[in-house]
Amino acid sequence: MNNLFKKIFIALLIVMLLLAFSKSYSTLNIDNLSVVVAMGIDVSDKNNLAISFQFTNPSSVSESGTSEQSPSIIYTVDASSISSGINLINTYIGKSINLSHCKVITFSEEFAIQGISDEIYTLINDTQIRPSTNIVISKTSARYYLEQSKPLFENLITKYYEVFSASSSYTGFTSNATIGDFFDSLICHSCEPYAILGGVTNNSTEYTGTTNSENDSSTKSNASSLSGQSTAENTGLAVFKDDALIGELNSIETLCFSIIRNNVDGFLVSVPNPNKANSYIDLHVTPLISPKVKVNIINGTPYIQLDCTFTGRIYSIESGADYLDANMLTQISNSCNSYLESILTKYLYKTSKALNSDINGFGKSARKNFLTLEQFYDYNWREKYKDSFFKVDVDSSIRSSSLLTES
Amino acid sequence: MENSKISAAEAISIVFGIFVTYTLVALPKSMLESTKTATLINIIYVGIIALFITFLIYKLLIKFPGDDIVDIAEYLGGKPLKVFIGIIFIFYFLFSSSILLRNFCECLKIVYYPMTSLIFIILAFLIAICVTLHHRFSSIAKVNLLIIPLVVISIIFLFIANIENFSFDNIFPIFGDGLFNTFITGLGNLGAFGGITLLYFLPPYLKEPQKMKKVYLTSVILGTIYIILCVSIILFMFVSLMYTNQIMPLYSAARHIEFGNFFQRLESIFLLIWILQMVCYLCIISKISMSTFKKITNIRDEKPMIFVFALLIFAISLLPKNYAISKFIEDYIYHYMVIIVSIFLGVFLLILAYLKKRKKKELNTNHEQSI
Repeated sequence: MNNLFKKIFIALLIVMLLLAFSKSYSTLNIDNLSVVVAMGIDVSDKNNLAISFQFTNPSSVSESGTSEQSPSIIYTVDASSISSGINLINTYIGKSINLSHCKVITFSEEFAIQGISDEIYTLINDTQIRPSTNIVISKTSARYYLEQSKPLFENLITKYYEVFSASSSYTGFTSNATIGDFFDSLICHSCEPYAILGGVTNNSTEYTGTTNSENDSSTKSNASSLSGQSTAENTGLAVFKDDALIGELNSIETLCFSIIRNNVDGFLVSVPNPNKANSYIDLHVTPLISPKVKVNIINGTPYIQLDCTFTGRIYSIESGADYLDANMLTQISNSCNSYLESILTKYLYKTSKALNSDINGFGKSARKNFLTLEQFYDYNWREKYKDSFFKVDVDSSIRSSSLLTES
Repeated sequence: MENSKISAAEAISIVFGIFVTYTLVALPKSMLESTKTATLINIIYVGIIALFITFLIYKLLIKFPGDDIVDIAEYLGGKPLKVFIGIIFIFYFLFSSSILLRNFCECLKIVYYPMTSLIFIILAFLIAICVTLHHRFSSIAKVNLLIIPLVVISIIFLFIANIENFSFDNIFPIFGDGLFNTFITGLGNLGAFGGITLLYFLPPYLKEPQKMKKVYLTSVILGTIYIILCVSIILFMFVSLMYTNQIMPLYSAARHIEFGNFFQRLESIFLLIWILQMVCYLCIISKISMSTFKKITNIRDEKPMIFVFALLIFAISLLPKNYAISKFIEDYIYHYMVIIVSIFLGVFLLILAYLKKRKKKELNTNHEQSI
């Protein structure tokens, strides 16, 4: 009798728990979800925000085979907040939106200028949003940017978004800016947020540089010489002061940012040819160790020293070149040093004097100069950064060319 | 009792398990909140104090071989004091474990079971402990010994996998909110060493009482190192956590782990391991509470009390009206409870009992000399 009672009790418990947990299961069931792969937020004429959701239809891939692309679907809704926008879309499509696979959140430039902290706080509060989700500031409307983001080499748009920021590690012309880092920088007292600068190719852009290599390095989203089937591009960086967009970095400036943050494994750079005026040599440069940053406070002003060490190989070669000559390699190394020092110094003064935004996070190193947080807060690093002075030392060692050492 | 004897390793894992369980919910964050960037220095400082207290507890307990604090209370003040101390410790164990369970379940609900009532999530844990508590204490200790390495490995993995996200400069300014805050008000972080409470109850369970010193000191040293590891992960990773509040900071850190495009979303594995640890913790605490209850009421069998204790945990865990209240209890009230009950009350009681014993011994010696 006792055993029977026990069995009935256990059976009742199992049924009760099954019923209790089934609601969460059915809510998160794949059949009831519509998976958002990217989100766009624009300024709206009718309401606070115009929120665009980009969906993919995975079943269409399996139906059409692997050779065809899966079409993406974009819905836009005008709403007072992100959550009410999600609610409206849920009602419209008859499924619950799931942001677990949202890889990109795009804000239009117009919207980001006004400040995006409320949206960032809301998104980071959502358990479905991953901290690794990329943040893009689009030069065009966010919806147009999403429409133009087409995966040409992958079948799924999700895969495209998964890998689109990977080039940051070998070009340095963009950065893997995530919402997790953005949120952390937003709250941090010693750094400022940044995001990927996105845009849509505009072939009518005029270039102001005098040589080709300068043109290459001044490229940024919406101002590049690219043309192709997919017109969305992600070159450069959007710089924030607190939560508001205040400026942009072009490709070479973004490279400097990536070098200082140690986000780039290797990169190509064109340095002046020491033996030929108005001529450039392309080098493939690799950081040897992570850059050393030292911040001293001298007479109340930040004095920032940056030491970078690189090794590299000559990438471009011209006829008659002799890259087995030690003197030649030293000259190229020196040219590389001067060039990198000059672009890094120019970039650093731009972030401090022109933008007054410590996206490099030098403030974290500056905290060593203070014993207590109160002293650091009183110093007000975020405002003092504009008074900073920089000393950049680059030590590069160009070892050889690649396959050809003489021509 | 002979069947309930545990080895030195099992005893260490039980005490260490208490340290571990509290770090899974909000402990690293509440420590960071009180001492900010000076938290690592503070943990080393309070860790040394905790070690000193542990040594003192050991030195005093060794004078009463095989007795736990309830037996010692009886020696000191007779049955009334025994019952009083027993009730205080039972209340402490049930209250702290219920609030911890509530907060852990709140986090589980937010992350995985948004549509499930909190009651059922708590109930799932209680069913697990009701089943487990039918086994001997030594069996529970053995299972705990199996789970603890998994939890430690998960935390070490969390540390290593997140190293690329670390900013070691986050440790500066080295004194956080100042010397007074780090070394005086920061003493409140002694509340993180709640595992010390179990030391008062271990002597009757030890298979090898001669290893008591080793068990006590090792478990507190390991606990300190473990807390340092957990706080380091949070301190080096998130500047934001000092100024905002996130549920389960270690879970937040686990969400950042990614190995390329293939190995992502590993946090569910972490949570699974941590759920097992939570069940082990609840079982140990309930078992100790039940045997204390048995001791003060002189009941023959403690098994019928399993459901009573489970229901008590269930009821207490549902007492806080919302997460804000239960979190406040865990972050502040629990810390002070540890300091008052585990450190002051326990040590004070042991010192008084020791003085009584010494006085008694002196009286006996004088009496013998006079004869």
